Amino acid sequence: MNAQLKNGYMLIFRGNEWHKGLSPEEMQNISDQWMAWFKRLMDEGKAIAGNPLEPKGKIVSGKSGHVVDGPFAESKEAVGGYFLLVVRDLDEAVTIARQCPGLPYGAKIEVRPVAGECPMAAEARAEGQPALATA
Amino acid sequence: MNAIEMSNDGYLLLLHVNESWKELGREELEKYVAQNHEWLEHLMTSGKAKGGQALARSGAMVSGKNGRSITDGPFTESKEVVGGYLLLNVETFEEAVAIAKGCPTLAFGGKVEIRPLTNVCASETRLEELKWEEQLAPAAA
Repeated sequence: MNAQLKNGYMLIFRGNEWHKGLSPEEMQNISDQWMAWFKRLMDEGKAIAGNPLEPKGKIVSGKSGHVVDGPFAESKEAVGGYFLLVVRDLDEAVTIARQCPGLPYGAKIEVRPVAGECPMAAEARAEGQPALATA
Repeated sequence: MNAIEMSNDGYLLLLHVNESWKELGREELEKYVAQNHEWLEHLMTSGKAKGGQALARSGAMVSGKNGRSITDGPFTESKEVVGGYLLLNVETFEEAVAIAKGCPTLAFGGKVEIRPLTNVCASETRLEELKWEEQLAPAAA
């Protein structure tokens, strides 16, 4: 079970409409490329996890934890999958993201560093509230 | 380097947060930060979560052919961003939802997105559908 990942970066794949309008052969080809890309990253030790996500889901919000179905798959922002990378820095994570086979078809990748500490604790410390920095 | 045990079962929680926590006074903020830590800690030690962390408020957006467009994070476009993730080891959607309901960020305008992990991406599912449709289509006379 992973504790605190150092040098962790999350690739959030956004937009799962990229396969629309493609022929079955093209879709298969891109899908195969994507799997091969992931496998290579895992073999190199640069990726430690990753999954596509089922198009269905739920969203919980509000104090009472109101539950609705969503988000809906037809969206440029919908999250279709993720990778967890362990690499040297953001530049390397971005370089890897640029290899994504879905890019020419409209896929977008959000690249986010895993936080070494809670970002709120960090901001609180910056604003002179040291007590929170130890959280 | 700790590898996360790979599996195609389970759920990803994406915590969508806004900046309303910035308006909290010190005491409330202390409480909020502590609640978040406790919640995550509890899920990790109970084994219900196999990974989970906050995401830093920085990053990049890559798009376009060969990823030629690189902009700073999603933050310039949106007040609501993914503030953290959790990988859950539970078996049912209901259990994942129950866990999500306990997330402290909900009381501060945050939302939790719950998505089942799979090993077949949406394009492959669509491909199977197309192949199936082809098989069902009447043969040309």
